[in-house]
Amino acid sequence: MADSSAAPRLRAHGVSVHFGGLRALDDVGLEVGGDDIAGLIGPNGAGKTTLFNVITGVQDPDDGAVELDGVDISRWSPHRRGRAGIARTFQRLALFTGLTVYDNLLGTWEAATPGAVLGRQRQRGRERVEHVLEQLDLTTIAGRLAGQLSTGLGRMVELGRALCANPRLLLLDEPSAGLDPDETARFSAILRGVAGTANDGPAVLLVEHDVALVMDVCDHITVLDFGQRIAQGSPSEIRSHPAVVAAYLGQPT
Amino acid sequence: MGFFGDIWPLAVIGLFNGAIYGLAAMGVVLTYKTSGIFNFAYGAVAMFCAFTFWQLRDGWGLNQWVALPILVLVVAPLIGLILERLFRPVAALSAEIQIVISLGVLAFLQALALLIWGGSPRVLTSIFSTTAFDFTSKLRLSYTQVFTLFVAAALGAGLWALLRHTRLGVATQAVVDNRDLAELNGISSDTVSRTAWVISTMFAAVVGVLLSGQSRLDVYSLVLVVIFAFAPAVVGRLISLPLAFAGALALGVGQSIVTHWGSSGTLANLYASVPYLALFALLLLYGNRLKELRAAFQPVTSAPAAQPASRRKLLTMGTAGLGLAVVLPALVNEARLGNVTSGVVFASIALTLVVLTGWTGQISLAQFTFVGVGAFTVGHLAATDGSGFFWAAAVGALIAIPIGLLVGLPSLRLSGLYLALATMAFALTVDTMVFSQRRISGGTTGMSIPKPRIFGFSFASTTRFYYLAVAVLAVFAVGALVFQRGPIGRRLQMIRDAPLAASTFGVNLTLTKLAVFALSGAGAAFAGAMFGALRGSVSPGDFGFGASLGLLLLVVLGGRALVGGALIAGFVYMLQILPGLAPYLRYIQLGIAVGVVYVAQYPDGPLTVAADQSRRYADLLRSFRQLVSRPVESKVPEATSG
Repeated sequence: MADSSAAPRLRAHGVSVHFGGLRALDDVGLEVGGDDIAGLIGPNGAGKTTLFNVITGVQDPDDGAVELDGVDISRWSPHRRGRAGIARTFQRLALFTGLTVYDNLLGTWEAATPGAVLGRQRQRGRERVEHVLEQLDLTTIAGRLAGQLSTGLGRMVELGRALCANPRLLLLDEPSAGLDPDETARFSAILRGVAGTANDGPAVLLVEHDVALVMDVCDHITVLDFGQRIAQGSPSEIRSHPAVVAAYLGQPT
Repeated sequence: MGFFGDIWPLAVIGLFNGAIYGLAAMGVVLTYKTSGIFNFAYGAVAMFCAFTFWQLRDGWGLNQWVALPILVLVVAPLIGLILERLFRPVAALSAEIQIVISLGVLAFLQALALLIWGGSPRVLTSIFSTTAFDFTSKLRLSYTQVFTLFVAAALGAGLWALLRHTRLGVATQAVVDNRDLAELNGISSDTVSRTAWVISTMFAAVVGVLLSGQSRLDVYSLVLVVIFAFAPAVVGRLISLPLAFAGALALGVGQSIVTHWGSSGTLANLYASVPYLALFALLLLYGNRLKELRAAFQPVTSAPAAQPASRRKLLTMGTAGLGLAVVLPALVNEARLGNVTSGVVFASIALTLVVLTGWTGQISLAQFTFVGVGAFTVGHLAATDGSGFFWAAAVGALIAIPIGLLVGLPSLRLSGLYLALATMAFALTVDTMVFSQRRISGGTTGMSIPKPRIFGFSFASTTRFYYLAVAVLAVFAVGALVFQRGPIGRRLQMIRDAPLAASTFGVNLTLTKLAVFALSGAGAAFAGAMFGALRGSVSPGDFGFGASLGLLLLVVLGGRALVGGALIAGFVYMLQILPGLAPYLRYIQLGIAVGVVYVAQYPDGPLTVAADQSRRYADLLRSFRQLVSRPVESKVPEATSG
């Protein structure tokens, strides 16, 4: 904790992945500071989810390294990274469908907390879960089975679950997909309320198709296209960046 | 020259069986690649067709050249169409559910065949002349063998040509590559898959008739023999027909060659083990390159589950159940109490599978292998008066741990279909290679197992042993419930529902899965000691693949994710051995099979089926009411179901 100002929360550099002949990621670098809500955008197939998979350890990169608070975690297994504080949500909902919402959150807290599966610190886990449920306004559905929720609620539970994993870095994979405008607005308000050191919360890296949402909540944005980083900067810089406009945004509206 | 001179005739003989396996392998691959369903029931279909042929020719006295076309061109296609219709809605469900349903079909066909033709084996003479002639001085062949090879090769080549050179072949390839795109291009994937099922079932009929022409025909053996074809099917990655056929020929030859060393002694059963061993080894070594086709089909829908029961409800039910169990010996006679004890012991075995399959989502067709480990260990280690029984049972449980790790090994890379195949191959390998050894199991005569005795107190009487079995089950059940509702149960269910998510949050999948396989195996071995004591004497046949299959089906029927499901499984098991119900046994078995197919997609068992159905009717009723009361309303009602 003391040294967290020296190194960025997340630093990925020189990351390359190819599947057969396809270059999914080509020498991509990225930094997210401890207080950041960072955005990662790009057209379909630009390599966004692949980069998430490299950061969480699900995909081994052909080249490059990932550091969390200055520690090289490139060779760590996914579960070790999870315990070190990397949590994510999934583009296609991956809830624990046969468990209640409450148990989705509690089980995740137990998975991320050493010794918890043996029943240690039970009280702390419950407090954490109930706090997050309240924060996300999920208390009323805590007893429902996760498999029976609508997509909108499911996304919220995914966020809640990730927040229960003691995250230092939160990776959100298209959290607004399938949400209506009201739900999206609520989502971005909640996100601002939980992220950053001021909230005693994690840094956030957000993959998103909803450009308005990204521009609204993110401090700085990285743009990928065909596996390469084509731009990086603040929302206003990105909005007027010629390469980005050409590749992705089209005419400003 | 000497060694080779001995080997090559064996190799040639191996080709005949290899060619038949090749047909079966192609049949299995054909339906898998066009409809995404791996048909575990293929052997049962072949068996059913062989019996039909027996009925037509030997039963009703038709000329075989009339009977054969009726079978292959009428009966088999009909069965194929029925199967296609049955499996079509299943393609969208999870691999686990598909497997269970096709195993249910297997059980259904066996039960139906038993109902129609009874349990006694038939002799089905070969359709070709069995006259033999000297091919060379070392090799004597029969016309049957030669014709069989020709027929199999011709059919295999014919199918290959059909798929390569006709429009149907192109359509099939298109459907395999991309179902949706094929549909967009005007190819009906339903027609393709219907054709595939018809051809595949016709092959099964030919396989059944050719294979049973070599040995006796009964309800069980053909099912196992056709499993021989699964290894070559995996060689072809379940997609390539020529590779599957070539693999089958190689398997037939290899299998025949090992008889050179293994015709007697410890290796006597090597012949039968080779295909199973090959399947297990293939899946273990080559598993990471296998990908399930299912991803190419529709998205998986999640299974409807029940809200967990409240603590108070569980406590009430548990107390009531235990109360009934305590007074039961006063209510029934000794023989019935013995039957109930069987059900109770079976329920404790079933519980170990609930943990593994229901909670952790790992299908196992090898659970009775562990039961056998426990029973045989006690047979060896406990004294004949039963003292030392529980030490021996504990040792059995310890022995089961490394075996559980071995069975769990494929689960690190494989899931769903391939895992089920691997556990099945494991069970069959142990059955044919290990349990058949005299030194281990006493061979076919078996081994006697004493009733337990602790500190001089004997559990030999029916009533005492009953109470002991109830106590063991109660300990298992309470332990399972405590686990299920605590952190460990949560963790297992996380692995079942979303393994990737669980691992990114910090769950060590490798460690957890292996631990569950090991502990579930140890539990089954301990329960196996009780099972052995219950029987008094056990032989390898008690712990074969068939027993594991029966266990899985009953657990599914009862509700594989529930502790109560194991109790239901035990109860249904008991129904099958009650002498009063013996006249209806075949119908009970048929009912179990139908029930399994119906309940397969409900992990919480029959009660959720009822709840889900009534919810559907309620939805239907509500929309009907809305239709009646507001006929012009155009607003879409809010969806209530997920």
